[in-house]
Amino acid sequence: MALLQISEPGMSAAPHQHRLAVGIDLGTTNSLVATVRSGSAVCLPDQHGRTLLPSVVHYSTARVVVGHEAQAKQNQDPANTVVSVKRFMGRGLADVADAATPYRFVDEPGMLKLVTAGGVKSPVQVSADILRALKARAEESLGGELAGAVITVPAYFDDAQRQATKDAAQLAGLNVLRLLNEPTAAAIAYGLDNAAEGTYVIYDLGGGTFDVSILELTRGVFEVRATSGDSQLGGDDFDHRVYCWLLEQAGLSQLNEHDVRLLLTRAREAKEALTEHDLTRITAKLSNEVVIDLELSSATFQAITAHLVQKTINPVRRALRDARLTVADIKGVVLVGGATRMPHVHRAVGELFGQPPLTNLDPDKVVALGAAMQADVLAGNKGDDDWLLLDVIPLSLGLETMGGLVEKIIPRNSTIPTARAQDFTTFKDGQTALAVHVLQGERELVTDCRSLARFELRGIPPMVAGAARIRVSFQVDADGLLSVSAREQSTGIAASIAVKPSYGLGDDEIARMLQDSLRHAGDDMEARKLAEARVEAEALIDASQAALASDGDLLDAAERGAIDDQIERLLAAMAGHDADVLRELTEALNHATQEFAARRMDRAVKRGLAGQKIEEL
Amino acid sequence: MALTLSERAANHVSGFLARRGKGLGVRLGVKTSGCSGMAYKLEFVDQESPDDLVFESFGVKIYTDAKSLPYLDGTELDYSKEGLNEGFKFNNPNVKNECGCGESFGV
Amino acid sequence: MSFDFSRSHFDLFAQPELFQIDRAALDARYRELQAQYHPDRYASAADIEKRLALQIATRINEAYQTLKSPLARGRYLLQLSGVETQEETNTAMPMDFLMGQMEWREAIAEAKASQNVEALERLNVELRGETDALEAELGALLDRAQYEDAAIAVRKLRFMEKLDAEIGNAIEAALF
Repeated sequence: MALLQISEPGMSAAPHQHRLAVGIDLGTTNSLVATVRSGSAVCLPDQHGRTLLPSVVHYSTARVVVGHEAQAKQNQDPANTVVSVKRFMGRGLADVADAATPYRFVDEPGMLKLVTAGGVKSPVQVSADILRALKARAEESLGGELAGAVITVPAYFDDAQRQATKDAAQLAGLNVLRLLNEPTAAAIAYGLDNAAEGTYVIYDLGGGTFDVSILELTRGVFEVRATSGDSQLGGDDFDHRVYCWLLEQAGLSQLNEHDVRLLLTRAREAKEALTEHDLTRITAKLSNEVVIDLELSSATFQAITAHLVQKTINPVRRALRDARLTVADIKGVVLVGGATRMPHVHRAVGELFGQPPLTNLDPDKVVALGAAMQADVLAGNKGDDDWLLLDVIPLSLGLETMGGLVEKIIPRNSTIPTARAQDFTTFKDGQTALAVHVLQGERELVTDCRSLARFELRGIPPMVAGAARIRVSFQVDADGLLSVSAREQSTGIAASIAVKPSYGLGDDEIARMLQDSLRHAGDDMEARKLAEARVEAEALIDASQAALASDGDLLDAAERGAIDDQIERLLAAMAGHDADVLRELTEALNHATQEFAARRMDRAVKRGLAGQKIEEL
Repeated sequence: MALTLSERAANHVSGFLARRGKGLGVRLGVKTSGCSGMAYKLEFVDQESPDDLVFESFGVKIYTDAKSLPYLDGTELDYSKEGLNEGFKFNNPNVKNECGCGESFGV
Repeated sequence: MSFDFSRSHFDLFAQPELFQIDRAALDARYRELQAQYHPDRYASAADIEKRLALQIATRINEAYQTLKSPLARGRYLLQLSGVETQEETNTAMPMDFLMGQMEWREAIAEAKASQNVEALERLNVELRGETDALEAELGALLDRAQYEDAAIAVRKLRFMEKLDAEIGNAIEAALF
């Protein structure tokens, strides 16, 4: 028996066609999945009632374990327990070299990989494992297959990080309706819950990323005016500071990976304890039997992490400048992300804006809830009562020019979708190729920006220097993802190329990985699909025949013939093994009987049923 | 003839209406969906239409239309949890057969 | 979904082809257009419709940005009248303007060298004032159909835009 939800007026779905949609907050520390049920956004819990899924994956030779169970293995098997994988998305080895991690990395072009007991894993694959767990939870909770998902990303994620996130979702078998910026998701949840109007700042300090977005909320429109942040700054860094303090106080160095993990865990616990208390005790027994027993005061904690809080203030200032606003223009500041629970973060934000920040939403859940609301709109469940989101790209996009300099083509904080074209020419006689290097970032030098893609445009007809006109076009879509194409204009001979992410996970590779992961499950799925299709077909045939027997007189000979014909064809298909054909023919019979069903309904009503049961007729 | 809500269902409907911030009640209905028969309709009501029939259970208004009523008469809408899944369920005495999932039915 | 890509930005936004613009009407029309064509409206549609929505929404954003900015709007009006602004090729500017530019650059360089954010912010305000005056001049020239002079005003504004970016970068460099 299906369990139904209340739809918006006029938006009831046909049976088996519910557009089940979820919002997923794929966080550094924790991940959540939420949906809109009977008009209300809710985070979906697991069978133990827990909504937070720790973003932790444990790999062994035998299996992959995600969440709490994986977290439990963290201290005993740190090298094979991947935590905070979001920090590695779209990143190379050089980007994470100074992080204290117990992992063995392999450098690959564009994005590093991790060596685990379960094989070499890219951050995309690890994230896909987390997403798969959330997808399974959602499908169990909603009683059907998901039509689509909105996945949130830090607003300050660059193109490589966004692309990696989308790839992970596709690898997990999710249909990505949209990548949504986390602060924008929070603004939707906050704005709709509070009927907010005016200019708001979303300050989002998560486990590993920091975002600030300034939004203008007017009736039904969420317009991002500017965004800024730091995609390598979050609660993890506060843990790391406490960890360094521990090493210093205890005079330790050269710990093994087990002890590193243990102390990082103790550091996180101490940080959390200091949210409520002024003093906390840290005890740990290292593998060499050395016992650490220290007290950390809230004052010391705040002193050793003050520079991290300060690091969040500059992006706030930059966003205000970009939006051409001052703190006086800001109506409210919404805090998002678990790390904003730290009292000194709270205080610093309050002081900067001269008003206490708004915290009437659970900072852990607000992003997932907003994503679920947006997913509901994008899946088409909302009717006319929806809203419009206008978001921006966080970082400027440009091309390498002479002398290792970057020429900006699309400035940061441009509203998406956006496109820009730039003409280039050849600088040598007879030049037939032109190298194009696409970069993202604000700095002037190529070496200070992130390289997104390099490609060579070949086949330019030989001409004198300066005669060729090569138009390079940038298109940023509503997910904030870039595609670049180039073509030679002057001769009409066009050469064009679409840019693939430079970390080398092209569509082909994703398709191959998908097939690999499906191969094991594939046979079972086929069998299940066929069995389901047979049951459905049989039920429909039975119902149709019963209806024909009782109300066949409503049809003329031709109509009757058409329905009989469809029934015959479906019966014939039931002998076969093709689930798709069965489904098609079931659908066809359903369609063929639609008018007949309507006539039967009219007859029933005409018979003046008032007060009578149908059986009594 | 009547349509009712179980107390649990009524509590959930009131809760959803409150969180939604608007709405008069809940609409129960049927629509034809080919020969596996009818399908249930379950929607919020923002506007009453002239030919609506209105019932009430535990303070919650239940709307339906004259065409649907014969198929739903005596139905109690319940709310239940099955594993991680939860939602509303039509307990409809008129139903003779239903598809495996209970979303569509015949009379 | 139908959309005429050949329409001018002014036509799309139901505004007369003039430098003076009704900003409130522009903003309202922008939201109305995006509410209709934004890719979010077609997130569950067929690929071809998604692609079309992307292109239309991109065009709407381009038109809005062009009409919103006085410099871009002036440049666009000249372009519609068939006048090239020659911003990349024609660098012959009146001597007094060039002298003014040199003074600006010196002042910015000085404040930048001493990391004086306050001085930079002051320069920014001053620059805004001069830019506003130039924009008003551009508007008046366009209204009188003095296109050649308007093209010079556009080229001047382009210089001002570069100064603005330079001050912005200097402030960022000092702050971060």
